[in-house]
Amino acid sequence: MPATEFQGSFGRSLLTLRRDQTDSNHHHHQPQNTMEAELDSFQRQVAEKFIDLNASAGDNNLLSLDWISKLLDSFLCCQEEFRAIIFNHRSQISAPPMDRILSDYFERSIKALDVCNAIRDGIEQIRQWQKLSDIVISALDSHRPVGEGQLRRAKKALIDLAIGMLDEKDHSSTTSLAHRNRSFGRAKDNHSHHRSFGHFRSLSWSVSRSWSASKQLQALANNLNTPKPNDVAASNGLAVPVYTMTSVLLFVMWVLVAAIPCQDRGLQVNFSVPRHYQWAVPVMSLHDKIVEESKRRDRKNCCGLLKEIDRIEKSSKVMNELVDSIQFPLSEEKESEVKQRVVELVEVHEGLKKGLDPFERKVREVFHRIVRSRTESLDSLC
Amino acid sequence: MAENGEEKLLAVARHIAKTLGHNESMADDILQIFSTFDGRFSREKLSEGQPGEDGSTVSALERALNSLDSQISRFVAADQPIWSDPADSAAFLDAIDELVNITREWSHLANEKPVGACLARADEMLQQAMFRVEEEFRSLMERGAESFAVNNHRLDSDDEEEDVEGDDDYDGDQIPVAKPLTDYDLIIDALPSATINDLHEMAKRMLAAGFGKSCSHVYSTCRREFLEESVSRLGLKKLSIEEVHKMTWQELEDEIERWIKSANVALRILFPSERRLCDRVFFGFSSAADLSFMEVCRGSAVQILNFADAVAIGSRSPERLFKVLDVFETMRDLMGEFESVFSDQFCLVLKNEAVTIWKRLGEAVRGIFMELENLIRRDPAKAAVPGGGLHPITRYVMNYLRAACRSRQTLEQVFEESNGVPSKDSTLLTVQMSWIMELLESNLEVKSKVYKDPALCYLFLMNNGRYIVQKVKDGDLGLLLGEDWIRKHNAKVRQYHSSYQRSAWNKMLGLLKVDNTAAGMNGLGKTMKVKLKQFNVQFDETCKVHSTWVVFDEQLREELRISLARLLLPAYGNFIGRFQNLGDLGKGKNADKYIKYGVEDIEAHINELFKGSTTARK
Repeated sequence: MPATEFQGSFGRSLLTLRRDQTDSNHHHHQPQNTMEAELDSFQRQVAEKFIDLNASAGDNNLLSLDWISKLLDSFLCCQEEFRAIIFNHRSQISAPPMDRILSDYFERSIKALDVCNAIRDGIEQIRQWQKLSDIVISALDSHRPVGEGQLRRAKKALIDLAIGMLDEKDHSSTTSLAHRNRSFGRAKDNHSHHRSFGHFRSLSWSVSRSWSASKQLQALANNLNTPKPNDVAASNGLAVPVYTMTSVLLFVMWVLVAAIPCQDRGLQVNFSVPRHYQWAVPVMSLHDKIVEESKRRDRKNCCGLLKEIDRIEKSSKVMNELVDSIQFPLSEEKESEVKQRVVELVEVHEGLKKGLDPFERKVREVFHRIVRSRTESLDSLC
Repeated sequence: MAENGEEKLLAVARHIAKTLGHNESMADDILQIFSTFDGRFSREKLSEGQPGEDGSTVSALERALNSLDSQISRFVAADQPIWSDPADSAAFLDAIDELVNITREWSHLANEKPVGACLARADEMLQQAMFRVEEEFRSLMERGAESFAVNNHRLDSDDEEEDVEGDDDYDGDQIPVAKPLTDYDLIIDALPSATINDLHEMAKRMLAAGFGKSCSHVYSTCRREFLEESVSRLGLKKLSIEEVHKMTWQELEDEIERWIKSANVALRILFPSERRLCDRVFFGFSSAADLSFMEVCRGSAVQILNFADAVAIGSRSPERLFKVLDVFETMRDLMGEFESVFSDQFCLVLKNEAVTIWKRLGEAVRGIFMELENLIRRDPAKAAVPGGGLHPITRYVMNYLRAACRSRQTLEQVFEESNGVPSKDSTLLTVQMSWIMELLESNLEVKSKVYKDPALCYLFLMNNGRYIVQKVKDGDLGLLLGEDWIRKHNAKVRQYHSSYQRSAWNKMLGLLKVDNTAAGMNGLGKTMKVKLKQFNVQFDETCKVHSTWVVFDEQLREELRISLARLLLPAYGNFIGRFQNLGDLGKGKNADKYIKYGVEDIEAHINELFKGSTTARK
């Protein structure tokens, strides 16, 4: 009778997971020191990943698409380890205190899912800017000498870009920006700028107007306390990897919100880890570096700390000023300056173009893995 | 010779004009002056020659450009929308086409300075023209969408059954939406046909002139806004996964209903309509059409998919099964639409997302069944039903499964997708159902041990077992579990029956055995007296207790009584008969004194069994 052979679940993919970890040496009665070694190894791995990330954050690489992708990779690795640990000790997870501890973790991970979705919207926002910078490039980057019409087209795109990149809160400054550029182009252009500003903001978010990234982060961090000694003892130490994974999850989501535009972006989260955790120092070090970055004068009101956003903002600003300064007929000097700026813009644009799609896929991967991990654990509780 | 001389003269004249004339029109004027001096310097002669060998054929180019310039400048400077007048828009487009043609004709000579200068001027004119076209394009799109939005209220969820066929308010231009909402076989013209043609003509020029990105951008922005407005009119809210997670069940049920409607309208009507519009406006430029379409629909598609995802990720409380199945079925039924609407390269991601989420919904359904398993497993053993009757969990599970099996086809699909290993005789759904039944029965067995009296224990199992078989027998659940299963379980119930009988009544039956080897008549009499006394006591006790026990199923009750009667009555009758025939029982006592019950009395008491006391009866 087939049913009697079933142990409840329908052969989840967990069973294919890490067979080498659960080989004949690790039977049901795992000796304490093996488990300790397993948990220690996890702590060490997390620490190593973040030490690496610290190392690769130099040379202005911090918060670049590349670096954040690395961060996401590290998260996925840690998550796999975590998953394995939970699977190996699934007999314990349905009993207190692990049932409560894990259920808390999965509640937080749902909040993280919403952050991932918001980030996806933010990436789409960045794509819109990419389109505009593309128009600027195609207007100016031709073999013909720059004409008035092309300049006008570039100018319009640059204004749209500038407006689009404004932080949501800066509503007041948009109208002044539009007025400042009234001189170039007829009144009709102004009207269309107002409309396009509306277009950039009101549509893109897939969440309701009341959703807030900063509140979501705060909720993720809420009551995130280091595990109580009672819990650690009662769970045979399993409370510690859960705390570790939660902290890593929170940090990664925090970085994403810091870097990518999203609704009600705010970085005020109480995030501190006691130093005795191996990974505390490298994580807090990155945290501090990023906070410092956010406080820099030129980045204070930006809509996202992503390095590429900074580069686009700067090179488009330079281009804007240059275009403003142009008088016809164009001197050779000016013309070569324009060409040079275009080359810079192309560089930034290409970098973004290459990196954005894979980055979005990675964020999506993070989403799916978080879901899968949660589903598997729920299934294991049978 | 003369010819050569003339040639030379003309060449010199041209040369003078070129060097003295600071621009083309000045050179032109100089040539004009020459032509008045001498017939040889006729305009035609001066203009002859290879293009590029002298400056004069360029003047043909220049003249053409001048004429186009004045036309185009007029349009570009116009305050009124050019496209409000079909004659104007046609003229404008003609001018643009001419400009493009001229540019193309002369482009191979771009290296020559005068030609190059003309071409630069032409390009400048083109840029100005395109700028204006883009604005016209945008305003035409916005105006068109506005008028549709006004007439779009027919798609609101409130106006479901409204039949608009006889509505006189509609004239030819407005959007004919004549059928009720439930019929998704609806074709909407998103914009008036004339507008679409205009847009296409504009898009053609813009794409050819290198303004494709701007054109696509304007198009997508406008249509996306309209589409998102339409979707929100359908009542679909923008909810995060957490918000869905936290909703009360009632709220979620309502939201799911709205979602099902919205998803169908979006996938069957709105998205295909946008696709058609894209294809018409960007006809001939499939890449631009694909890209624009994706831009337009992405946001709404993501919103729709996000909700389905949130439902799939949500809690697995068993009561959610039917609504989750609804969402699963909707996604399944719309898969074809997802495939066809999101078939191009840019939309591949969306299509894959839809498939992933659909699969996740299947997982959720399987998860719900696992949760049901948990519920059964964890149901406390202590909660035994007084009187051995039907336990609430039996009723809950059996009714649940019966209801679930009404969606049998869908469930088969869901379970085929799991990682389970099917056997050749049963589907995975059957395996799941059998497993749940086993869990239920195990749980009941544990519960039955709570009863101190083993007879009650068997009665409890009999009651619940019977209920289970009844609920399985006539319905989809029975078809799933199979005749074999039903037979086996009926046998089990019979077994409980005999066990009950044995444990409660065997002893009494034993008392009624007449032993013929007793020593002498007196001995037999005495033994029988004792046995009868014992029988009476036990019978009384047992009947008192067993009358408070419950057998809910009428037929089963009858079976039990009949079976008991068949067991006891002959034996009792026989015993009593022998007893009475013994005659003298010493001390002159009558046998009747010891006989408390006649056979009919026994029967009557048996028929009082299993009625349940007022407190036990539930």
